[in-house]
This record gives sequence, structure tokens and C-alpha cells, in this order.
Amino acid sequence: MPAEPERALRVGVGGPVGSGKSSLIAALCRELSSELRVGVVTNDIYTTEDAQFLRATGVLPAERIVAVQTGCCPHTAIRDDITINLEAVEQLERDEGPLHLVLVESGGDNLTAVFSPALADVQIFVIDVAGGDDIPRKGGPGIARADLLVINKTDLAPFVGSDVERMMADAAQRRDARPVLALSLRTAPHAAPVAAWVETQLAAFAAAGGHLHSTVSGVSDQHHGHAHSH
Amino acid sequence: MLLADSRFPAGGYAHSLGLEQAVGDGLGVDDVAGFIDARLRLVARADASLSVAARRSAAGSARAGLDRACAAALAALDAEHAARCPSPVLREIARRLGAQLLRSAATAWPSPLIDGYRAASAATPRPVALGVVGAAAGLDDRAVATVALYDDAATVASAALKLLGLDPAESARWVAELAPEIDAAARAIGADERPVCEQEPPAAAGLELAASLHAQRTERFFAS
Repeated sequence: MPAEPERALRVGVGGPVGSGKSSLIAALCRELSSELRVGVVTNDIYTTEDAQFLRATGVLPAERIVAVQTGCCPHTAIRDDITINLEAVEQLERDEGPLHLVLVESGGDNLTAVFSPALADVQIFVIDVAGGDDIPRKGGPGIARADLLVINKTDLAPFVGSDVERMMADAAQRRDARPVLALSLRTAPHAAPVAAWVETQLAAFAAAGGHLHSTVSGVSDQHHGHAHSH
Repeated sequence: MLLADSRFPAGGYAHSLGLEQAVGDGLGVDDVAGFIDARLRLVARADASLSVAARRSAAGSARAGLDRACAAALAALDAEHAARCPSPVLREIARRLGAQLLRSAATAWPSPLIDGYRAASAATPRPVALGVVGAAAGLDDRAVATVALYDDAATVASAALKLLGLDPAESARWVAELAPEIDAAARAIGADERPVCEQEPPAAAGLELAASLHAQRTERFFAS
């Protein structure tokens, strides 16, 4: 039997401003927190609104949601100098642990922001149909290499002239076999397919004794000698 | 140079060292150079002295790791920092910045000294942490003092770019113009043989008070 992981699985949630990162995290907490101990670290740009939003939803005890300030550098805080977030995650695990899952929400950013593999074991990139249906075609590290791509607000597609089918097809082309999920967090606020994906990652993380490598790292997983679900 | 580079991952970019609160209270572009200079004289010098004291205490243990005497000396410097820093907000900020610096330094300069101090200290105030890292990286007193002083000035100058409309070259000039002062101060600190408790403590009560006001703000870019 593989050893129980020593720490929580860390899942990065990134994507442009307003695409639905906070709503997705709220949905995941709602879906998963009855069975799992979940913590959240938010990277707000200017206010602590994301953290407050999550606390207000009541999906988690308030003390399991912490906010960090990133000094106008949301990119840096998840990729180039992740020390602030690592400290926050570890502090959260010390204070509230043991946790099964820590969700790290990046500050709303552009298409080039991705999490360092040293911060997030796996990462979800969230875009929405209202941002333009050419976004998957344009690509970028988040679109192409995130472990899961979520296309949100499909309910708005007819109103903003976006073609969801085409977005899915373009994304699939950019992403080899990596998964893409299209959904509407407004009409189906439980995000069951995303929660199921997270549970698969948790199982793989536990099976590997706490070693799960994001495809973003660009490093081949072969040296581990264990199966990966992504 | 790596230690002083803002690209060294130690989390300093999330801090304005009091500038954000000062700008909120009316400080303008023309005042920032004066603000940096005031920090140098009133805060950064005293912090640099503490870093140099930590380097001296740690230097003997750089290879073998933290022995008992060295651990006790560094613990005394942790306590000295706490005594010099009445603001709980600033003490917590110093602890976090120190922890972040040590985390990255432990990978960049693998050393039983850094590991030992991380394990032994709950406080890890950044000035003491910087001295420990300086010892592990083989820096001398003057180099440690220079890094401490330069980092303070450059952190504020960099935050100014985000808080005020400004030509980036202009903020670089502020730091460049302070080079002689930083150099002279680093020499003086490096040559000062007195124990740190007999040297001048920081003296910026306004910054201490402003830090608490800043921490209570609901809208802010920076962690300090």
C-alpha cells in the first residue's frame, strides 16, 4: 500500500478576471467539503473580495479561507516567486490541518499565467464564452497545458455569439488529450464534473504517496513509475 | 548579487514597506526619494546592523551547522529584533519575509546552518535571517549590510511604480543617487564592532503606527 500523503493535494485555479474562478471554487467546496477537509488560499489583486465572497457563501469554515496580497504581481505570486503562497498554504495546513485538499485561486490575470509546479500539484484554467470564442484557438500556457480546462458560462453563448462546440474543438486541438469541460456555474452551481475530476486527482495523489506532477511542468512523468490519471 | 536581485524569490515584491499607507495619506511622487532616504537612516541602518550581527554569530557555524552557542546567539538577536519592533504588524511581516527568504535560500545555498536556524527559530525576523543566509553564502559584513540597505531602498522604489504614475527610470535614479550613502553606511556598519544592543535602534514611530492602519485597510495592493 502506498503511504498516506503527508500534505494536502494543491490544486491551482487560474484564468482571466471574471471567468468564474471564485464561483468554481465555491462549487467545489460545496461538493467536496462534506467528505473532505478543504482549505482555500486566494490571491486578491486589491481587495479581499474573493476571500470574503467565499466566506459569505458559508461553504467552508471562515478560518479555512486565507487571502494573500500580491503587490500588483498576480503572475509572480503563482509562478516566479511563489514563496508567499507556499507560506500561506503551509500555515493553513499547520493551523487547520490535516487537510485533504487546498485550492489556490490566482488573482484574475491574462492567458499567460500558469502555476509553478512547486506550488500546485495540478491546475485548472477557467475561461468563459463571453471572453470571445477565439480564446482556445489563441492558446497560451494556461489553455494549452493546464491539467483541466474549464469553459464557463455556456448559458451565455447564444447571447454573446460564441460557438461552444468550436471552442471545445479548438481547445482539444491545443491540448492533445488533456480534458476540457464546458459548463455553466450559474445554471448548474455544483460543477459535478469538475468535482469528479478533482476526486480522480486526489485518488492518484494518494496512490502515488503524495507525488503528482502537473503537465505544466513539461517534465516527463516516466521517472515515477506509477500511473497518472491525467 | 543574487541575494540582492529582486528576482531572487523571497516575496519582497508584495511589500511597499509603508509607502502604500504614506501615499494614501497624501505622499506624492516628489516625496518618495525623501521617504526612501528617511527609511535608510531610521530603519534600514538598524536592520542592517542586526543582519551583520547575525552574520558574525553564524559565520563560525556556516559549514558544520548550528551549534548550541550559535543557536543561542541567534535567538538573542531574534529577541533583540522583537524588542526593537514594537508594532505586532511589523513583527509578523518581518517573520514572514524572513521565512520566505530562508525557504528559497535553503534551496539556493544548501547549508546545515540555514536548515538549523529554520528549525530552531519561530520568529525568523528578516534582518536576522538575512545575516544567516549571508553567512551561508560566504558574504562579509559589508556585503551583508549593502544587500540589506539596497533591498530596502529598491523595494520601496519598485512599489512606487505601482502606486504612483511614474517613469520607471526615475525610480531607478532615486536608488542610484543613494548609492554613495548606502556604500558609506555599509562600510560604517561593517566596521562597527559594538554589540548590536549598544548600537542605535530604529527610530521611525510614524511607520510603526502607520503599519497598523495599513493592515486594517480593506483595499490594498501590498501586504505592508
